[in-house]
Amino acid sequence: MKHGPLLFLGVLAAVLASWLTAVVAPHFQIGREEPIPIEELGIQYPVDRAGEAKQGAEVYRALGCNYCHTRQVRQEPLLADLTVTDLGTNAVEARAVVASLRRDLAGVDGSHLPAVLPQPLLARVRFAEADAARRRLTNAGAQVELTFANRGADIARGWGPRRTVARDYLRDHPVLLGQVRFGPDLANLGVRETNVMRLYLKLYNARIEMPGSTMPRYPFLFEERRLRPGAEPSPEALQGFGFKPPPGMEVVPRLEARQLVAYLLSLKADTLYYETYLPRPPTASPAAAANPAAASATNAPAPNAPVPPPQP
Amino acid sequence: MTAPETTSAPVPTPAAPAGPVPVEVIDRSCRWPVMVLLVLAAGWMVVAGLLAVLAAIKLHAPGLLAHQAWLTYGRLQPAAWNALVFGFASLAGLAVALWLTARLSGAPLRGGGFILLGALVWHAGLKFGLLGILAGDATGFEGLELPPYASPMLLMGYLLMAPWALLTFARRAEPEACVAQWHVLTALWVFPWVFAAAHLATTFLPLRGVLQAAAQAWYLQNLQLLWLGYLGLAAIFYLVPKLTGVAVPSRSLALFGFWVLTLFGSQAGMARYAGGPFPAWMTSVAAAAGALTLFGVVAVVLNGAGCARAVMGRLRDSVVLRFVVLAGVVFAGTAALSALNSLLGVREWTQFTLVTPGLDLLWIQGVAGLALLGAGYFLVPRLMGLAWPMPGLARAHFYLAAAAVGVLGVAFLVGGWVHGVALGDADLSFLGVAKRYLPFASTGTLAQLLWLLGAGLFALNLLVLVVRACRLAVAPVWRAWRTPQPEEVRP
Repeated sequence: MKHGPLLFLGVLAAVLASWLTAVVAPHFQIGREEPIPIEELGIQYPVDRAGEAKQGAEVYRALGCNYCHTRQVRQEPLLADLTVTDLGTNAVEARAVVASLRRDLAGVDGSHLPAVLPQPLLARVRFAEADAARRRLTNAGAQVELTFANRGADIARGWGPRRTVARDYLRDHPVLLGQVRFGPDLANLGVRETNVMRLYLKLYNARIEMPGSTMPRYPFLFEERRLRPGAEPSPEALQGFGFKPPPGMEVVPRLEARQLVAYLLSLKADTLYYETYLPRPPTASPAAAANPAAASATNAPAPNAPVPPPQP
Repeated sequence: MTAPETTSAPVPTPAAPAGPVPVEVIDRSCRWPVMVLLVLAAGWMVVAGLLAVLAAIKLHAPGLLAHQAWLTYGRLQPAAWNALVFGFASLAGLAVALWLTARLSGAPLRGGGFILLGALVWHAGLKFGLLGILAGDATGFEGLELPPYASPMLLMGYLLMAPWALLTFARRAEPEACVAQWHVLTALWVFPWVFAAAHLATTFLPLRGVLQAAAQAWYLQNLQLLWLGYLGLAAIFYLVPKLTGVAVPSRSLALFGFWVLTLFGSQAGMARYAGGPFPAWMTSVAAAAGALTLFGVVAVVLNGAGCARAVMGRLRDSVVLRFVVLAGVVFAGTAALSALNSLLGVREWTQFTLVTPGLDLLWIQGVAGLALLGAGYFLVPRLMGLAWPMPGLARAHFYLAAAAVGVLGVAFLVGGWVHGVALGDADLSFLGVAKRYLPFASTGTLAQLLWLLGAGLFALNLLVLVVRACRLAVAPVWRAWRTPQPEEVRP
């Protein structure tokens, strides 16, 4: 390499290209997203936080909560089941497709395929694979049912009803997605935990309520005050959940603790709207097939359906 | 190196020296700037080690020292990381980069005073930054925590130091740049863009929503590979041929590996957020690029295998070679695992687990750290004209550092897998998950403790050497001052 300038220009081009793909191109795709109005709920999602919660975001950042807690719900790997319910009028072609999907079902000649209906065809395969098979079968005139076989461990744990998407973070700065789960995910903490006192106690000493927890203590967010003899502890003093303050003392949350808890309660990424909602496949159920407008017009998920993923 | 310039070769700049400059002259031009950078790096290495040990202990002893806000895990951890990256690795990297550039260009290092000033500005900026992080001013982005009042100081310090490497390179005696030089120059060239762009996009002119996290992932990848990784590779590519007397087996293979790593490596950052709230194509591009970096890693490994026999023969009697070769081995393993880890199928199990910090630390401590320490052990005696006062400590440091990196790799990679399997099992309560990963996280404390002990030995050795050099320099002056002057003879 005799040419210094070539080296510098080449390296600059390579790094610039990575900047373009990692930041600039996505900026044109999602960089101008705005909160969307959701008429049923009368809100602009994501909802702007109240002042105290906004200050709590600063406490969250300053204490480095994101070094142990992520704030993103994953839904991967997404698996699906596929069942044939009816072969339709062009049974020969549909049989050929079935035979190509499941060679073990074909037998010697494949003429009596599938024997009984409904016949489970694919079980716990990648969603994209099941969807491609569904498309081929419906093109051949068959009726199939596509159901989700799993929801991902995050959703099964109750960390959120759906995966998180870019729009969930529009009101955040800094956006602290987190990289390691030394503690549980907090994307929907405000949904699953509504007891203020329990959050205060977790911050004061997580092992009061949950022995064996690895969460650090944050006693500096609280004030230990001496009680006047005979006086009642103030209403905001920590109590309950097996917590016993030192005799003659009360433990009161400081301003930072109140702000942080207000912020934690505001952590919600559970609103469903078109971006986080995948309508069930058209032939999924007789009810949806009979009234397709109802299935696609509502933002709420079908009552018994697992929450579907967004189309990326 | 300082091969005589052929008359037919085109002279790069009119100011190029007429003949080959003796190595002693080049080393003397480097002495002050490089030694100051190295001493600062050694100090930061000890500080980073102390902070890292404290942070690692707090991970499995959450009640310890809980009453001080500045000692909470969420502040110690970023402070330790920044001290390690910007204190130890970057300053040692700059020292090695400046010295390598001067040596390989066959020209004395220029701008010594500016480099000293730059080192002090960087050092002061980092001090403010770490105090800011401990006080709660961190920006919150992992790897970009330096508060907005500290990061510009680091950039300013850098701009006082690094251009002198390029100016020295412009006056090189040989027009042909060698393999180590590509890596040094790329690292020096890439760092300011990446550092400035990422801080702008996250802190000064923040992008909207999750794009901040995308900029952060891009930055971390480039910092680890193109800045610290390439500084380490430069030391490896310079020192192995130098110590074994065997040239890099294939220059074209090295060229191929270099461009593959530069092109695809810098694209692979978004794999960090696979499955996250981003358009899916972003993580797919990163996964594909990450997999393609394997070709570059294979090229580096093949080149290394070419001189393996020569290396094995010399390994016994050279601590420097041991450090550098181990760094090369760790590079091959870490880069291959990083490529594997960017594949979505693997990422599903390793994301949000100990694997993420494990690979980050392997890049910084295992690849860059070991290689730069090796280079440090090589260059200090040459710059100061003194042998290491305690060579036994250097050998002990090698074993400690190797053990630290080994323990770290095994604990965090195996532990990360266990962690990931536990997270994937939705029937296991989170307390159960914590019980599974805790033994491995505690082993991380052992790794950091070993690393800290090694850092202490290095700092001690360096301190004794510097004191001895000062005494040697001062002794004649002192003796002259103490000896009574002969009285003037009166006529």
